[in-house]
Amino acid sequence: MEGLLLFAVSLLSLGAIYAILCLALNLEAGGAGLWDLGIVSFFGIGAYTYALLTAPAAEPHQNYLLGLGLSPVVGLAGAAVTGAITALLIGLPTLRLKREYFLITTLAFAEVLRQVFANEDWLTNGVAGIYGLEQPFRDVLTPSTLPYAFLVIILASLAIVYWLVAKVSGDGFGRALKALRENEPLAMTAGIYPFSHYLRVFMLAGALSGVAGAYYVWYNTLVVPGQFSSNVTFFVWTALIIGGLGNNRGALVGGFLFVVMHDALRFIQASSDMALFLSSLRTVMIGAALILILRFRPSGLLPERPARIAVGGR
Amino acid sequence: MLTVRSVLKSFGGVRAVRNVSIEVEAGRIIGLIGTNGAGKTTLFNVVSGLLPADSGTISFLGRDITRSRADRSSALGMVRTFQTPVGFPQMTVMENMLVFDRHDSAGLLAPLLALAPPRPKPATVARAVTVLERFGLAAKRDLWVQDLSAPELKMLEFARAVMADPKIMLLDEPAAGVNPAVLDQLIETIEDLRRQGMTFLIVDHNLKFMCGICDYIYAMADGELIAQGTPGEVVANQAVLDCYIGRRPKAQH
Repeated sequence: MEGLLLFAVSLLSLGAIYAILCLALNLEAGGAGLWDLGIVSFFGIGAYTYALLTAPAAEPHQNYLLGLGLSPVVGLAGAAVTGAITALLIGLPTLRLKREYFLITTLAFAEVLRQVFANEDWLTNGVAGIYGLEQPFRDVLTPSTLPYAFLVIILASLAIVYWLVAKVSGDGFGRALKALRENEPLAMTAGIYPFSHYLRVFMLAGALSGVAGAYYVWYNTLVVPGQFSSNVTFFVWTALIIGGLGNNRGALVGGFLFVVMHDALRFIQASSDMALFLSSLRTVMIGAALILILRFRPSGLLPERPARIAVGGR
Repeated sequence: MLTVRSVLKSFGGVRAVRNVSIEVEAGRIIGLIGTNGAGKTTLFNVVSGLLPADSGTISFLGRDITRSRADRSSALGMVRTFQTPVGFPQMTVMENMLVFDRHDSAGLLAPLLALAPPRPKPATVARAVTVLERFGLAAKRDLWVQDLSAPELKMLEFARAVMADPKIMLLDEPAAGVNPAVLDQLIETIEDLRRQGMTFLIVDHNLKFMCGICDYIYAMADGELIAQGTPGEVVANQAVLDCYIGRRPKAQH
């Protein structure tokens, strides 16, 4: 029973991380029509920033930059900042491109970043990654309460992210983004300059994904380049499409649902052969779920709805 | 107010607009007629900043806007409508209106830092409702634009332009596909706005509509201006008649 509870806590924590990524992706893809296939870039940058800022200095057998041993709060803030800066650097050349070209270049940049994580040993300790990071608050909390504390913190962060994203998408700025998504030439004649709007929302999505990356390191206590393959991008897209592209609540639901579908089978105790079979099966399950959604609910479980605007005060 | 001088625009080998000069004075309704493919919409696209001109100059309110992007020209007070009125399909009628309010968005930081949930200014919403009522769309304000009928879309196209509160309106085929009752309403609205000082540049095929409303008409064919003058002069012009009705066969001997 204790094991099941811990497993549920772990699943919920991972679900919250995915939900943050889904909300970030929904902001740019659902809200502004930016088909970003490189959301993992910011996730990875955030994770590495967090690790390098909060990890102790490198041991003799290791090799990575910084290792400042700073507080996790600084790590989280750093992850948000580098996520936004990465988005700025990737956005400057790519956001002027039309949809399909934007999509392919963001995918390429994500791959470039993964190669950097894997090959720049001096910076990231290469493919070996950085292991054994201390979970924050280890000294003030007992080990058995740590997972619960983490769940509370990540859920609170998710709530803040949701609040921020909902404010942006419900505001005039969010309306301008939606207008660009729907009809760019018409939006321009309404006085909206596409590039600056895209760049700003891209940076915000980068910052939020960076925060998700930091929590991912916190959750795993390690960071290796293999965690940041484009699979993550496709997982987040799948989660968002299942939940409902263009609907923040859909993004929230999609993130949790995806993790439950993808990782719930891990709990089953099985022989190694069986485990291999089960781990292949989960990809099949996700694929089947995606096909069923696209067939029967193409706009997702919680589709985008008309935004009602109250008339006459209240 | 709006001066177009010797504008040239080609697409590959096709010279869509050749050497066209147009003058729109404040408070007037200027028409632009011509058959399909004459280059009217291309000229609109160039003037509104959606397409760059190959050569020539465009000035608006004394400023050179030849190289100005569409959003900049819009900020100066120029708004245009489109021939195919799709609008922003997956946004409500009300949202479509609000987007055209110049002060609807205050940037990204404002909503991020705000404590209260975002809400458009009540005065802006009230103005949008007033405009929508005028165009008979107030009851549809919470519907997605993709769920409107074709005439409603046409009305919304005009309503958005009014919402922008511009100094000049470029209307691309406002009378196309509009039934006679709605057309009368459209004419009334245009004249109403003109009385309040609005300036118009209108492209349309409907000669009766154009002659009834325009002070001065330019006629285009194959990318060039072929005639200009008061409506009476233009409809009597032989080149225009040839264009619209076809050349009279030469008398047989």
